[in-house]
Amino acid sequence: MIFEFYMTASQILFYVIAAFILGCGLLAMTTRKIFRSAIWLLFSLVGVSALYFWLQVEFIAAVQIVVYVGGIVVLIIFSVFLTQQSGTEMPKAPVKRTIASVFAVLFGFAFTYLLIYKNNFISGEGTFDAGISKIGNQMLTTGEQGFALPFEAVSILLLAAMIGCIVIAMKTSTNQAKGENEQAANTNKK
Amino acid sequence: MWNEYLQLMKAELMVTIILFILLFLKLGKKERETVPLLHFINILLLLNFISGFLYNAEGTLFGDMFHTSKLLSLEKNILNLGTLIISLQSFQWLKTHKHIPEFYMLLLATLLGMFFMLSSNNLLMFYLGLELSTIPLAALANFDLDKKISSEAAMKLIISSAFSSGLLLFGISMLYGTTGTLNYHELSQQLSGSPLQILSFVMFVAGFGFKFSAIPFHLWTADVYEGSPVAVTSYLSVVSKGAILFVFVSVLYQAFQNIAGVWYNLLFIISVITMTIGNLFALRQQNMKRFLAFSSISQVGFILIGITGQSPEGSASVIYFVLIYVFSNLGAFGVVSLVSAVTARENIDDYKSFYKNNRALSWILAISLFSLAGIPPTAGFFGKFFLLLAGAGTSHISGEQVNYLLITVAALNMVISLYYYLRIIRAMFMDGNDHPIDKVKASLLPNISFIICIGGVLLIGFAGGIYEYIYSLVK
Repeated sequence: MIFEFYMTASQILFYVIAAFILGCGLLAMTTRKIFRSAIWLLFSLVGVSALYFWLQVEFIAAVQIVVYVGGIVVLIIFSVFLTQQSGTEMPKAPVKRTIASVFAVLFGFAFTYLLIYKNNFISGEGTFDAGISKIGNQMLTTGEQGFALPFEAVSILLLAAMIGCIVIAMKTSTNQAKGENEQAANTNKK
Repeated sequence: MWNEYLQLMKAELMVTIILFILLFLKLGKKERETVPLLHFINILLLLNFISGFLYNAEGTLFGDMFHTSKLLSLEKNILNLGTLIISLQSFQWLKTHKHIPEFYMLLLATLLGMFFMLSSNNLLMFYLGLELSTIPLAALANFDLDKKISSEAAMKLIISSAFSSGLLLFGISMLYGTTGTLNYHELSQQLSGSPLQILSFVMFVAGFGFKFSAIPFHLWTADVYEGSPVAVTSYLSVVSKGAILFVFVSVLYQAFQNIAGVWYNLLFIISVITMTIGNLFALRQQNMKRFLAFSSISQVGFILIGITGQSPEGSASVIYFVLIYVFSNLGAFGVVSLVSAVTARENIDDYKSFYKNNRALSWILAISLFSLAGIPPTAGFFGKFFLLLAGAGTSHISGEQVNYLLITVAALNMVISLYYYLRIIRAMFMDGNDHPIDKVKASLLPNISFIICIGGVLLIGFAGGIYEYIYSLVK
């Protein structure tokens, strides 16, 4: 054999997707404009959803796109526009820090690679069914393999988060109003 | 069938019902008188606490995702008690606050999260409970709405807790990858101690370490404690920390019993570092809240000694210590909270000659600090005694001898801690001051909370039946 190792099309696809995710992630970390970094993050997350398609869990892939690409990255971009000057370049990282982080990344990669490579994974039994109707049924079942309780716990969590947000957001509006009134009063005095 | 749900999930349902009552109260009318509202809420919390003693049952629900037992009911009720005392103490501060129902809704949401976390039999439910018990806390830390330092505290809390949740989730996902299950019982059978599992376990413990602020994961603690309103600080340091420790013990003893040799060494190192560094930093604090933050860090170090016991005694001594810790720490926080609400002074120097105008409050603070330091007639002594006893009788699993090194370090640390607790007592009773704090008048509710705390600190140590009762439940 000329080729000691050969890959199936599926494996090649996997490595292409993985390289895409990692490359975009690296660019998101290293680019010096914060807006671009958000866009690279978006591509990286699209890559993750491609990985889910590759695993043939279409529903999760769709959720990944809707929630992360459609929701979270848009949120990040909004907050970047609201708080930062998105056009300006951030200062260059010092060389010392770059070298240290390269070593840290290499060590982390080698470490996890070794651990995962050495580990004996047990292969799962039975067929894997991740259809939407199956997920929907499990989400609302109270018995064995049912996820009704986590579902309800998440709803309370969202309620609490909303209440917290409203209280904190209301604070800024009243404070601003107060501050503006004071400013107006000061200018009047002048 | 419905009876079963009502009875087993009683604690959770009570908290949820109160939460929704408050929600509808808020939605109903625009402005309400604050004092009657606070009295009403405190009565609801008292009812919640009393209901915790009635009709407790054992069983599992939702396909082994939720379980409860007499022990868990007791732990939940300790948390209920802590919440009630904090609510009584924060009366003075909340009286002038605009968002009272929201404050309690967020507080109860975190309490509910802790209950789910305690009752979980499953890493997924555990994680959701943990998030439910930390995310609303970040909003609560921001409740001094016009103070910048409070917003800063909330920001630090949410970022550090998001980071720790990330570590924890990564650990959980690798555990799931190697064992194929999230259920505690199945997990304990599947764990073999392979390197990947140990790495994931280390991440798991790191996530926990952030939440109960063991060193080296403590950096958020002092800043968040200083910036938050005192009621939230005491909630963080007593109720939230107590719940996390309860869960930590039960997860270690149930799910990770197979790799006990690994976590024994891990906890040994963390415990020694936490006690020593926590104490050394507490020595040089000037702000009362920061001081109590570092004191609570070093207390965690002592609690970890008890956990290394790997025995029913270890588990029982941790629960017993947390019960005592509720009373003694809340006694101290109650006085600080009252003084801060009335005079806005929080430095240790402000407490010089505190005894001159505030005799009763000085004694309350002094007794609470004695209990935290572990001086004999107070309950704190018995709590630490049982912790060290459980830690000293160690290692029938890892097969080591009694760990004298750990006990020696703990004893030395108790001496150091005595110095800084007594420093505050000296400031209050002996040091002179040109502008001592004027007489602070407490209303009825904070006074009730002080009576409960001091009663607990003085009496629990002598009521030997309490430890026996906890021990019988654990076994």
